[in-house]
Amino acid sequence: MDSPATLEKPQRWDSSFDPEQTPANVARLLATEPFSGMDPARFPKRTPLAGILQHDTRIRRFRNGEIIVREGDYGTSAFLILAGGARVVLRPSLPAAVLGRRTTQRKGFAEIIAQLWSNPRDPEVRKRAELAQDSRGRSRTGQDNAVRVFLQDLPRILDEHQTATMSAGDVFGEIAALSRTPRTATIFAVGDDTELLEMRWQGLRDLLRCDDRLRAHIDGIYRQRTLATHLREIPIFRQLKQEQLDQVMAQTQFTTYGDYDWSGDYKRLAKTGSVAPEKETVIAQEGDYPNGVILIRSGFARLSQKFGRGHRTLNYLGAGREFGLSEIAQNWRNKNATIPFQHTLRVVGYTHILTVPTAVMEEVVFPNLPPEMVAALGPAEPVPVAAPIAATAREARPDALDAGAKIGPELMEFLTEHRFFNGTATMVIDLERCTRCDDCVRACASTHGNNPRFLRSGPSSGNVMIANACMHCADPVCLIGCPTGAIHRGMAGGEVVINQATCIGCQLCANNCPYEAIRMVETRDESGAFRLDKDLRPIVKATKCDLCVEQVGGPACERACPHGALQRMDMNNLDAFANWLHR
Amino acid sequence: MKGFAKRRLQWIAALVVATVVAALGYVRWAEELQRFTYLTGWLLFALMLVLTAYNTRKKLPFLPLGKSETWLEFHIYAGYFTAVLFLAHVRVRWPTGWFETVLFLLYVVVALSGIVGLILTRGLPKRLTAHGGEVLFERIPFVRRDLHEKSEALALQSATTQKTPIIAEFYARHLGDYFARHRHFFHHLLEIRSPLNALLNKLTDLKRFLNTDERAVAEQLSDLVRQKDGLDYQRALQLTLRLWLFVHIPATYSLMLWSLAHIILVYGFSGGTR
Repeated sequence: MDSPATLEKPQRWDSSFDPEQTPANVARLLATEPFSGMDPARFPKRTPLAGILQHDTRIRRFRNGEIIVREGDYGTSAFLILAGGARVVLRPSLPAAVLGRRTTQRKGFAEIIAQLWSNPRDPEVRKRAELAQDSRGRSRTGQDNAVRVFLQDLPRILDEHQTATMSAGDVFGEIAALSRTPRTATIFAVGDDTELLEMRWQGLRDLLRCDDRLRAHIDGIYRQRTLATHLREIPIFRQLKQEQLDQVMAQTQFTTYGDYDWSGDYKRLAKTGSVAPEKETVIAQEGDYPNGVILIRSGFARLSQKFGRGHRTLNYLGAGREFGLSEIAQNWRNKNATIPFQHTLRVVGYTHILTVPTAVMEEVVFPNLPPEMVAALGPAEPVPVAAPIAATAREARPDALDAGAKIGPELMEFLTEHRFFNGTATMVIDLERCTRCDDCVRACASTHGNNPRFLRSGPSSGNVMIANACMHCADPVCLIGCPTGAIHRGMAGGEVVINQATCIGCQLCANNCPYEAIRMVETRDESGAFRLDKDLRPIVKATKCDLCVEQVGGPACERACPHGALQRMDMNNLDAFANWLHR
Repeated sequence: MKGFAKRRLQWIAALVVATVVAALGYVRWAEELQRFTYLTGWLLFALMLVLTAYNTRKKLPFLPLGKSETWLEFHIYAGYFTAVLFLAHVRVRWPTGWFETVLFLLYVVVALSGIVGLILTRGLPKRLTAHGGEVLFERIPFVRRDLHEKSEALALQSATTQKTPIIAEFYARHLGDYFARHRHFFHHLLEIRSPLNALLNKLTDLKRFLNTDERAVAEQLSDLVRQKDGLDYQRALQLTLRLWLFVHIPATYSLMLWSLAHIILVYGFSGGTR
């Protein structure tokens, strides 16, 4: 018999943030605040403080006016200023063009008509005007071959924008790194000798676990800047008075599960066919005591229930959804017939959650809710724990589970396993109505200079196919790390677009995209000749579906389908998807 | 009532109302009103212009002209209504003279090809989906070539390694042509499985003359035959979904030109009828 294939078990620090991080640097960092004040004995042996600094951090030097983080970008690291200074732009924000983005404008009537004759014959033609960059932000390639973006005319920027200074010892970017939310401000270096320590989120998470002071500091910032806003977005907390909300905020815990690099993991797992619910981290287990209401802040979680020997997916919960509220509400109203969690909540990729403890819900939140809101939380009578899903689920969580039931378990598994819930404009095709006429592809090409921006093929389940088109993800991993900010969210609709002028063709976004919806293309000039760089290599740009942001009337693919077979859908709105399936 | 069914009912209701109005108009004014034929003729021509414009709308997806789906629904039901207007226009009589016979036949071809197209576009996608193994139409020639090369390599390999020509001969006699081009178009369209079964039966019969290794090769060939059959099925149905338009659209433009000539002739030879 063949011996089983063995594989080295991956270790936490197989891949260092900076392979060239030296022991001397680590020693220097250990002598610098806040690390000098940390107690190395409190760190586990597997992840010592020196190890974190060695493998999860890197020292970066910035020159005067160089952009460190851009407002609206997604990032997975925080920064500590070691030397020099930085300025954060407060208000007004820097214009989009300065940050390497473009302001999307819908085409005027004349421009729409002009498309009749102005579409080029050759593929991937970029007109000169399309590639013109804003002179107030210039990218340069440094000695390390990294592309750096500098703000030009700094005095004018300082005149026109209110800024705040940060100096050695200040930390920034930690909330965006820990909660996977967009950066809230642009920060640029002041002086040519600005030295920053960039900490990737895994290292920052470990530091928080083992150092009370840093945890308290970040905890404070989080509660002060983010928590109140987030809780106010949720109806049951919106009803509370300020002092009651303060009580809730003081007791709320926040945790990040999983891995921000889920897209890379997902690609690997998908190739080996080992994407399975059983391998996902459990946040809350069916049958356990409900010790708090779980609020999803970012990322996604899978809601499942035991079925036979496995678990079947009922729904997936994205930002703004809650888990456990109906169980806790029922227990509060029926003290003698308490029920445990009715479902299991698992991490899909990564999930950032807030937990409001049961005691706080019972003492502060429920007593202050208006009666109609209490009634809406679920049935007043106890729900039997062992009742079949059709009974418990529908009565307890009508919003979350009806759609899942309508969609069916096979399709739910398909959507979850392929992580399609991430899409806010997923291209869904009903194969039983699609006549394969390719009108959608032709419409896409006509509206994009004769270049189709998607493929009418992709994974399918039953009669539903998810086409290979950008889904404009809720968690757009393609945005992470773009050196020039070329790929960004549109200002108006939040669609993910690429500025052709500032795209340097580095392929980072294409490699990051778990759905392989971004393609690299060799560009041409108006005469049809390839655009070449100084080494005579074709200039490559990233391209993808832009949801026809510049066109009037919405996505051309959807409008072009004669049989109503193609729809761009927000997969977070399963009700709409279920209705579309049964239309 | 759900989306598609509700909309279908609304369109049918509109069609019924329009038909009843047209029928009443015909009964009331067809004999009395001298200009009735002109009225129905112009209405018919105008409606046909709008129906023809659908193809133009498809070519201008960047213009805000509404959803193609709504256009198609209008195209279908207004298309049915043209039959009512057409009958009223010709006063339910067979045309006289070659010019009008051609016009009549062109209308029939356009209408029938449209109805056939509608039936095909409603039925074939379901069959394609149920059959599975879908390949993009443009990719089909490449996949066929790949299958051809694989099968040929298997046959040749068998001849050299087994030192008996039995599989190679079988390949040359029965499979070479099968893999070299697309086969059994009408069988696939009509869901007749006999060609595949016949080929697989021949391969099964052959196995009694083969040793273990050759049987494995025959098994692989059977698998490739099934794949090729699935590919031919996809091609036959996807091609049919495209082909009917090659009748409908040219016939439509011919009809429009012929109608234009008809209008010119009518006015040219109306002899002062006003």
